[in-house]
Amino acid sequence: MLNVREILKTFNLGTINQKIALNKLSLELFPNDFVTVIGSNGAGKSTLLNAIAGNFFVDSGKIAIENADITRLPAHKRADMISRVFQDPLSGTAASMTIEENLIMAYRRGKTRRLRPAIGTKERDLFRVKLEKLGLGLENRLTHRVSLLSGGQRQALTLLMATLQKPKLLLLDEHTAALDPKTAEKVLELTCNVTEQEHLTTLMITHNLDHALTFGNRTIMMHEGRVILDIKGTERNNMTISNLLEMFEKASGAHMNTDRMILA
Amino acid sequence: MFSQIALGTMEQGLMYAIMVLGVYLTYRILDYADLSVDGSFTLGAATATSMIVGGTDPWLATGMAFIAGTLAGLFTGILHTKFKITPLLSGILTMTALYSINLRVMGRANISLLGSRTVFTDFAKFPFMEEYGVFVLCLISVVCLGAVIYFFLQTELGLALRATGDNELMIRSLGVNTDLMKILGLSLSNGLVAFAGSYVAQKLQFADASMGIGMIIAGLASVIIGEVLIGTSSIGRAIFAVICGGVIYRAIIAVVLQLGLEATDLKLITAFIVIIALVSPNIRRSLSSLLKGIQGKEAQ
Ligand SMILES: Nc1ncnc2c1ncn2[C@@H]1O[C@H](COP(=O)(O)OP(=O)(O)O)[C@@H](O)[C@H]1O
Ligand SMILES: [Mg+2]
Repeated sequence: MLNVREILKTFNLGTINQKIALNKLSLELFPNDFVTVIGSNGAGKSTLLNAIAGNFFVDSGKIAIENADITRLPAHKRADMISRVFQDPLSGTAASMTIEENLIMAYRRGKTRRLRPAIGTKERDLFRVKLEKLGLGLENRLTHRVSLLSGGQRQALTLLMATLQKPKLLLLDEHTAALDPKTAEKVLELTCNVTEQEHLTTLMITHNLDHALTFGNRTIMMHEGRVILDIKGTERNNMTISNLLEMFEKASGAHMNTDRMILA
Repeated sequence: MFSQIALGTMEQGLMYAIMVLGVYLTYRILDYADLSVDGSFTLGAATATSMIVGGTDPWLATGMAFIAGTLAGLFTGILHTKFKITPLLSGILTMTALYSINLRVMGRANISLLGSRTVFTDFAKFPFMEEYGVFVLCLISVVCLGAVIYFFLQTELGLALRATGDNELMIRSLGVNTDLMKILGLSLSNGLVAFAGSYVAQKLQFADASMGIGMIIAGLASVIIGEVLIGTSSIGRAIFAVICGGVIYRAIIAVVLQLGLEATDLKLITAFIVIIALVSPNIRRSLSSLLKGIQGKEAQ
């Protein structure tokens, strides 16, 4: 499904700030995989997602989706295959535009934008049905500007936008980290529902080790730009958080920086 | 006498409002402070006047002015998106280059259209249009262009343009080539500005290589005045607001001139309007709370 082969990404090459963010990282995702990604700060998790989405080109290595090589494809041309939700609730929506305008832009993800009226009654009806499922009352606020919504509402909307047009790959970068615990649970629940119903292949970064083990079917751990642990099946089911930290120390030879981690 | 001045101010205001629509497209919709405006306003005037003098139909010449403006915007857009030059510098580069180009187009520093056919002399031939022809034609033009922009901004393409100015990362991740959107927005904007320049020159029956100087600041002042007085709660309202802003700005200038200030002081006054507006983005909120406070005290 997704095939990442030995990708290398160095920031600020040749300066004192030189940083190898992805160090010949390889990763293969199978259809319907829901992979959680953990690792300490600066391990390269976001950089991995950015590389897959095409925010920049990797220095070397190969990225393919369903056998199509996308390594040199600019971000806007990968959009029909990949959708994303970022950590910052402000970054996934256009604040000055209305809920329905945001939704229609997502609905046309990866398609050519034409010189025709953007929204019709058919789309509006569809949006109402979809928004109703979020259970946030947004179905009655189609023409409200997104800037009027709370962070949680915006993130739920962003998640809906990311899945409105089924992507081949869904990338989630700590998308609940900026929300209060209750809202975070709600958004996570929505995430699970939609990935299950739509059979999405998903890569979810989280700093919550409990979530990392309970959500999805597979967990990978990153350290210094590499995948140092990849578990699934019974091994994963029997895994505890303290086991996980132990394995991290063994695999990396370092202490996990747990400042930002939520351990339980 | 007074009504003459009032009519002249309205005519001017409506012509400049077309330019303000262009500035609105870049400054507000694209969030791009485009300084090419100074040059493309003159470019429109230069293109239309030199073509009219050369015997071209004035309506066609006006259309060509629009196209010349879009090319100027295209140039700015390419400088910014392909060569990664900052928005401000891209605009300044185009503006500077256009100064020479405008002189080339005109062949000299200024052109007089006295006695030539213009869109306004043509329009004055319609029944009842002898006196109010300029006003009516400008009004029709502003309303039509405003409506076209309004509908355009609701299309798929229009939404992509607005999102490019609002959240570029997001709309790119939804598959829009934001470089193209910026080029499109800059082209449209400068086309409108040049169109306005061609109207102004045909009304004044005169084009001058320096007539666009300070136009961007006048445009910004107009956008801000309109937004503060009328509001931006929807796209339609915002478009109406910036059109009114253009007219009100001209009215303020006319009043200031009547009060006895020199025409040469205008740019200073305009700069002050923009500075005041920029340093106090909350000017409206504080004004309205001030008003509420006063009313509250009266009630007590
Ligand atoms: N655009 C960038 N420019 C320079 N350095 C970057 C950039 N993006 C990430 N880095 C560096 O790459 C490393 C990995 O960052 P990141 O992928 O954001 O880590 P995380 O695992 O916390 O998401 C960090 O050291 C970070 O400072
Ligand atoms: Mg990160």
